[in-house]
Amino acid sequence: MSGGFFGFDTALPGRDNAPSASAPGGTVHGFQARADADSFLGGGGLGGAGEEEDLAVYNWGEGMDTGLLEGGDDFNDETFGDVGDFSQDFQFSSQPAPTPAYRQQPRGPIASTKSHFHPKAQVDLFAATEDDFYSSRPSTKKSTKQNKKKEPEPLWAKASPANQWGASPVAQPRTPTQQPAPAARPPPGQILSLDEIEADLARTNINVPTPPPVQQQQQQPRVLTLEEIESQMVAGTPPPVAHQPPQAQHQQHASQHSIHVPTPPQRNTPPVSAGLNGSGHSQQQQALLDQMFPDLGSVPAPQQQQQVPGGQQAMAPSGPHQPSPEEMAHMEELHRRIAGKIEAMSKHNNLMGNSDKDFITRIQLSQLATADPYSSDFYAQVYSALIRRQQAADGQGPTVVQVAPGLGFGVGAPTGNRFGKMGTASMQRLTTQVKKLVSTTAKRQQSNMSNDALQGALGRVPRARSQVAPRQVLAVPAATKTKHQPINQLNQSTGPTRPALTRKQVMFALEELYDDVLEIEQMRRDAPPPTDVPAVEAWNAACVAKVDEMWNTLMVMEPLGVSNPHPFISLMNPLKGQRLFPRLLRHLPQQQCLTLLTLLIATYPQLDVVSRAPPPPVADSSLLTKADRLDRARREAETDSFLHHVIPGVDAIINQCNLGLVSGLLGICSQRMEVWKVGATRPGVALFTALLSKAQSLVRAPQDPNHPEAQQDPAELEQWHKMFDYFLQIILPHLPELFPSTQAQKVAFGPGAYLIGADAAGANQFNEKEGLEIERREAEVWGLAAALAVNAPEDQQTNLVAALRENILHSVTAARDSHTPRARAEMKLRNVNMFLHGLGLDASMVPT
Amino acid sequence: MEDAVNATISEPLDIVKLSLGERVFMKMRGDRTITGTLHAYDAHMNVVLSNVEESIHIVDVNEDGIPQAPRVERRSLEMLFVRGDGVILLSPTQ
Repeated sequence: MSGGFFGFDTALPGRDNAPSASAPGGTVHGFQARADADSFLGGGGLGGAGEEEDLAVYNWGEGMDTGLLEGGDDFNDETFGDVGDFSQDFQFSSQPAPTPAYRQQPRGPIASTKSHFHPKAQVDLFAATEDDFYSSRPSTKKSTKQNKKKEPEPLWAKASPANQWGASPVAQPRTPTQQPAPAARPPPGQILSLDEIEADLARTNINVPTPPPVQQQQQQPRVLTLEEIESQMVAGTPPPVAHQPPQAQHQQHASQHSIHVPTPPQRNTPPVSAGLNGSGHSQQQQALLDQMFPDLGSVPAPQQQQQVPGGQQAMAPSGPHQPSPEEMAHMEELHRRIAGKIEAMSKHNNLMGNSDKDFITRIQLSQLATADPYSSDFYAQVYSALIRRQQAADGQGPTVVQVAPGLGFGVGAPTGNRFGKMGTASMQRLTTQVKKLVSTTAKRQQSNMSNDALQGALGRVPRARSQVAPRQVLAVPAATKTKHQPINQLNQSTGPTRPALTRKQVMFALEELYDDVLEIEQMRRDAPPPTDVPAVEAWNAACVAKVDEMWNTLMVMEPLGVSNPHPFISLMNPLKGQRLFPRLLRHLPQQQCLTLLTLLIATYPQLDVVSRAPPPPVADSSLLTKADRLDRARREAETDSFLHHVIPGVDAIINQCNLGLVSGLLGICSQRMEVWKVGATRPGVALFTALLSKAQSLVRAPQDPNHPEAQQDPAELEQWHKMFDYFLQIILPHLPELFPSTQAQKVAFGPGAYLIGADAAGANQFNEKEGLEIERREAEVWGLAAALAVNAPEDQQTNLVAALRENILHSVTAARDSHTPRARAEMKLRNVNMFLHGLGLDASMVPT
Repeated sequence: MEDAVNATISEPLDIVKLSLGERVFMKMRGDRTITGTLHAYDAHMNVVLSNVEESIHIVDVNEDGIPQAPRVERRSLEMLFVRGDGVILLSPTQ
């Protein structure tokens, strides 16, 4: 690992060999200081210089070059002169060197993470560093002397074999197979460092004698890795259950570290032992993460504890199935390989110091901070909101944590506050840290503005300052994003007519619209408190401006005949646009909604779902080609989507109209479209039905004594009747053709015509589901017929019945036919009754 | 007007953005093609698709080493995450 890993240039001029180049006398002290910093044994372990600010200062380039000479211990004699003394001092963790006064505090008899890993992790979890690091970088030359004292945990110190293997002073060759002699263990009573404990665990793991006898092997106390357990599960063998008490030494520490509990060896023990450390993801770091995000933390721990009391057999397969020798041999082999692998990996243990890990954790965290935590975390936020609603809102923690002006984390989690009990404190620390980090970085970026000119430049740009300005760890987003406004150009009409929007333009405008809608929704979400009047006004203005922008993008105000299809209709044709429709409406003021509806109705025939409505179903879909089938499926899907997304919005707007408007809209319908063609499509039927039923409820409203003010203007009423008469007159001759069954009959040819024509017999041809689907579509048209019926004056009602006579008879006879499935028959009757009831009639009155 | 659209398309993935929510065709390494509804993508061209149909184009070779006529194996998937390193091209279907 080189310093370059962090993105820093390690080759600082003149500092490469700083530690070793200094006077031999001073070097020993330098080492001593490092040893102190390494073990972090005392509160003041950082030495005098560090005490003033109680902050770890990272000097990454320094010490690494020398530190990487892992095998270079051979030259220790020359460097340090006295080998004997040195070997005593070199036990960093297990046997602290002669302690200065401030380290003479009494220590507990038991090692724990707290005592070994620096207490700073508890006191100052987010000790300022990166920013200090940055700000101190230019002045490192001045502070060289300080740095030598303050430097915490050089990497090489941790990586040196002596440290790794605890008390064995002289570096032992660490071949994976060789076991350190038991004598090398620290004397009893001595405090074990976590490293030693881990090494111990690894040792026991490796040391497990692997006798060939099957039964005996099961009795061995072993630490099972997850892989083993899994493979055992797969093989169906009951996992070995250990009965031997664990070694006392382990027990002692087990109480301290639940993750490292090797006792009793449980089946579901997560990979205990060196494997955990081999990943470079130490407990310390885990603890840091846990503290910040308890929910994300190590889940296994509680599970483990659950299983400790007598739960060992709970999950075991019922029968005491004896594994076959082959299986055992296989397991044996597997175990050996795993152990070897773990051992091989363990040589990388502790390559990174705790502060290294902290540093990286913090960098990672700072990357998560965004300018808009809610949006960045949007799906998690919405999801957690839903979950919380389900859980009746027990924990109401903040879902967004603001760490700095314009930066924050989204912390929406299903189970309340992700930061747990201690969360608030850590969050506060994190907040200060990131705030500092951000402000420093922002300042640096400000001074580096000249570099921005090079952004987008091709080729390699020589950067004279690359030595002193390495890649930034945290890029604070620039506040001003240049906003293109091409849609306005799109909007400019160059003449009375122009070609329809291309697909690309449509897609582009839609993306723009989605962005706008999302932005508006976000704005509505963070409304200022209503007490803050100026802020509310500003917010209102901003919202209105944004809505205006969206309105322009919608291109509703383009002249009606500007193109075919109209730009707005082009936007409503793709599924994306249809899905957007209800969300758009929510933000538009009423007047604009009405304008939009008028335009939509006026250009209704241009809609894909109307002009290219799915053809009626055929009796046998196997007659169709594949492309044809796909095309039908796509058109059906488009129609469904339109009915699902657009029509409800249209209904909602129509519901706000008064009678004059409704009759106006109906007038547009009858004048601008071929009503019978539009009416033959499902969207058309839905539109007419909505208009007619709204009119009906308005016409009937005057009878409501509670709302005398809702009296209809007689002129409006008059106009409505005229409009309706006209509409009915147009549609009446075509009314039977609107029914899907009639349409299907019309298109069908060959044998299919018979099948569909004879409805009752044909019912068998369509399967049950298809039949019901057809009835459902019929119902839509019957609904329209019913709406016509209730609106029609009496003389027209007779005409209506006469026009639909065939259909009524057909449906009723089919419903009474014993071959028709019951459900379908009922639906047929209900459909017909929907219409007949509007006239005060009933299907039972129809003679057979 | 075309210029207006092109003005904002500043990077290749902006074009992919236009296909969001639409059916797209993807050519993959390993003689595969995929069509599906594009839901999400990122800078690595990792892609999430729904209603996917994957076609694997296979050329079998008989014992004599003579390649047979290519055949296509298809499978349908409801939702698919495609790792970007296998993507050769992505285009809208029409």
